Amino acid sequence: MKFLIALIALLTPIQIASANQVALESKVFVERTQVQSDGTVETILSPPERVVPGDVLVFVLNYENKGDEPVNDFSVTNPLPDAVAFRKSDDAGTVYSVDGGKNWGVLAELSVLDVDGESRPAMASDVTHIRWLVAEPIPIGGTGQLTFTGVIK
Amino acid sequence: MKKPMQFLMSVSTLALASITIVTANAATTAGVSVTNNVTVSYQVGGTNQTDISTSDTFIVDRKINISVAEQGNASTSVSPNEQNAVTTFTVTNASNDVIDIGLSAANGAAAHGGTDNFDVTGIQIYLDDGDGSFDGDDTLITYLDEMTAGETRTVFIVADIPDQSNGDVAGVRLTGTAREGEGVGSQGAVITESATNNKAAEDTVFADADGVYDGIAFANDDYEVSAAILTAVKISEVLATNYPVTGASEFFNIPGATVQFCIAVSNAAGGATATGVAIADPIPLKMTFVANSILIGGTYDNNATAGDTSDDSCTGGSTGGSFDGTTVTGNLGSIAAGATGVITFQATID
Repeated sequence: MKFLIALIALLTPIQIASANQVALESKVFVERTQVQSDGTVETILSPPERVVPGDVLVFVLNYENKGDEPVNDFSVTNPLPDAVAFRKSDDAGTVYSVDGGKNWGVLAELSVLDVDGESRPAMASDVTHIRWLVAEPIPIGGTGQLTFTGVIK
Repeated sequence: MKKPMQFLMSVSTLALASITIVTANAATTAGVSVTNNVTVSYQVGGTNQTDISTSDTFIVDRKINISVAEQGNASTSVSPNEQNAVTTFTVTNASNDVIDIGLSAANGAAAHGGTDNFDVTGIQIYLDDGDGSFDGDDTLITYLDEMTAGETRTVFIVADIPDQSNGDVAGVRLTGTAREGEGVGSQGAVITESATNNKAAEDTVFADADGVYDGIAFANDDYEVSAAILTAVKISEVLATNYPVTGASEFFNIPGATVQFCIAVSNAAGGATATGVAIADPIPLKMTFVANSILIGGTYDNNATAGDTSDDSCTGGSTGGSFDGTTVTGNLGSIAAGATGVITFQATID
């Protein structure tokens, strides 16, 4: 089976679609702080039923290898919605673009022009695209989760 | 696709040339649908697979947040009986939607120290025409029409001051209420918060900066009366000049003696400058005015005993004033706080 796919790939430039090889689930949560009865403040994630500018959102992508072979070079590209300003992502192997997906890198290496035309280091709010590069192969049945935090402009 | 490490290295060099102009973004408009698209590429068995995508969508709700702020952070200084005394406020629509803001103004508490102890009358609200000062081009209003998201307008509370004393304070409050922006030229209904929240619909959420979630905001300012605090003393002394008894060393109020009258008007420290201070003093019966004896602008000395006029004296001054046959009049002009205006004149005892 493996051999056959490899062979076809060699013979034809078209990509082989393996339907439902990877299952995805994208979710958005609103991060809220809630004062508990004992006075402590707890951060809770709730569905985006009530979302207004300034709210902090947590975007979650769950994935699962539902196929019968390991998945390699798993890469996820997530353009930021216009209304969302990027805050942070704690996942390893994350790269960013601040120019609409043309150039990529870690945030510290990117720069933008400010309103005066001066180049300055890029900030989280400059991010236009996020890309996760999952280095390790995803085994059969393997799952993972990628998240980033943004704020509604 | 390249291995992640190679990919990272290749983008690092590109990143140096990566340049994007950044512009500021206003708050996201209510009702905007936000869709997060995710695209995944991967390989199976070393072969690229067709990218797969997923997305999640929600609607940005309507955030109602208005603010009212007093401008200048100081009392408006007014005179007793001043008409159309002005305090200035700004009203801001920090919501992410176009709304009307209903306005009301009323007497309130002191905003800058002191205690509110009187009420202004005839309170009205005017919309500034853009020059920041109250003038005839401003518009009498009861609400702000069609305020766009983030817009700030300047409004004035204009009121009349009763006859009050120096230091009296009247607080005023401007209150704004978020109302629906239902169209130009008419005030919409009061905005209410949505009872339920729906991911796929635009809900209304109160997000008042003052922490009271009601779509209502207010600010206080006050008027402080700055009045002149005038007191007057009138003293007299018999002059040696033309005294009818030759060689006298003490001078009494006897017929033929000349008496100098002095009226000293003092404006206490801390008050307003009194302007147009005019004196009118009838010559007493049984006395005859000495022609051209009116002097204005002299100095008054209470001999360090305020309240005891027996040892007071007036000196100097310039010829002025007038006498109409019965009454001496003179204009002392402006008397600043802490200053004294003096008029002296002479009359002989019949």
